[in-house]
Amino acid sequence: MKNLFILFCCTFLISSCDRVDLTQATSQDINTIVKSFKGKKVVLVNVWALWCLPCVEEFPMIVELGQDSKDLEVLFVSADFIDQSDQVHDFLGKQGVYDLSLIKNEKDEPFINGLHPDWSGTLPFTVVYSKLSGEIVDFWEGKEPETRFRSAIEKALRS
Amino acid sequence: MKMIINIAAILSIAFAAELEIGSTMPKMEQKLQDISGRTMTLADAKGDQGTLVVFSCNTCPWVINWEDRYLTLADTYISKGIGMIAVNSNSSRFNGSESLDEMVSHADKIGYQFPYAQDPGSELAYAFGATKTPHIYLFDKEDKLVYRGAIDDNGRDASKVDEPFLANAIDELLSGDSISKTTSKAMGCSIKFP
Repeated sequence: MKNLFILFCCTFLISSCDRVDLTQATSQDINTIVKSFKGKKVVLVNVWALWCLPCVEEFPMIVELGQDSKDLEVLFVSADFIDQSDQVHDFLGKQGVYDLSLIKNEKDEPFINGLHPDWSGTLPFTVVYSKLSGEIVDFWEGKEPETRFRSAIEKALRS
Repeated sequence: MKMIINIAAILSIAFAAELEIGSTMPKMEQKLQDISGRTMTLADAKGDQGTLVVFSCNTCPWVINWEDRYLTLADTYISKGIGMIAVNSNSSRFNGSESLDEMVSHADKIGYQFPYAQDPGSELAYAFGATKTPHIYLFDKEDKLVYRGAIDDNGRDASKVDEPFLANAIDELLSGDSISKTTSKAMGCSIKFP
């Protein structure tokens, strides 16, 4: 009986952890989510896509950053097409991303300008928001080393 | 020394401003390696009524999504005096997937009816402030930039385009009207600089 209970608990834990929460979002939705963390956590938004090799290369490093700090909320936003949601879902599961994750549901131009007017549309794209003020403290296009991410997060924790 | 050069290259990418509307076409005499085997320049690609420069490549899925539009634009506008050239600035991959041989195969497979040329050292991309593929620059017959950005608002499906940004701009250019929307944005793959 005891073994059965342990098996049940393990099965429940595994199945509950295996659910990837992939939600469609516009830039406005993303900004609303980011604002909800103001005063609580630094937020790092990373826009990526399955077809973008530099995005996929830096992805595991960003997942680890999110797992390492309770003061950091990492929000992944897939720029893949909605009809690729199943593939995005599979990728997130393999990367161990079981928190809320988003997939773009807006035309490119309003989405790009809605996240940052200086973003050209190149992927990957990363924005880091301050813990206290909720304002953007850093952003960049393209793949960057972990040191760049850590430096921006440190700055966002202090501001 | 190599590190200094790399840092300089990174900074030049980070701070490369996009060409402003009204700017003169830069580096018109820069030598490019075309798939025909000849060396050419942007000046060679110019049309009587204007010139369309498309930063492109062989492998980016967004290029592949939009490539049917390249052909339509060429069919529609080259005969009306618009010169067109696709430039491959992914110079760090010229020894692999973006080699001249691969470009020849790609252009042949898709059916390019316009020059497709390598940009050694990504010099043109730096000068234009181009960061991604596809990235579009339209110049008038005086070589002044009149439009830059995206082809249209639907990379996935040409039949579902609401705003054909580039075609509208070319039509306005050809009819002598001012360009109503001079810039636009879309997703794209990063240019692979040296």
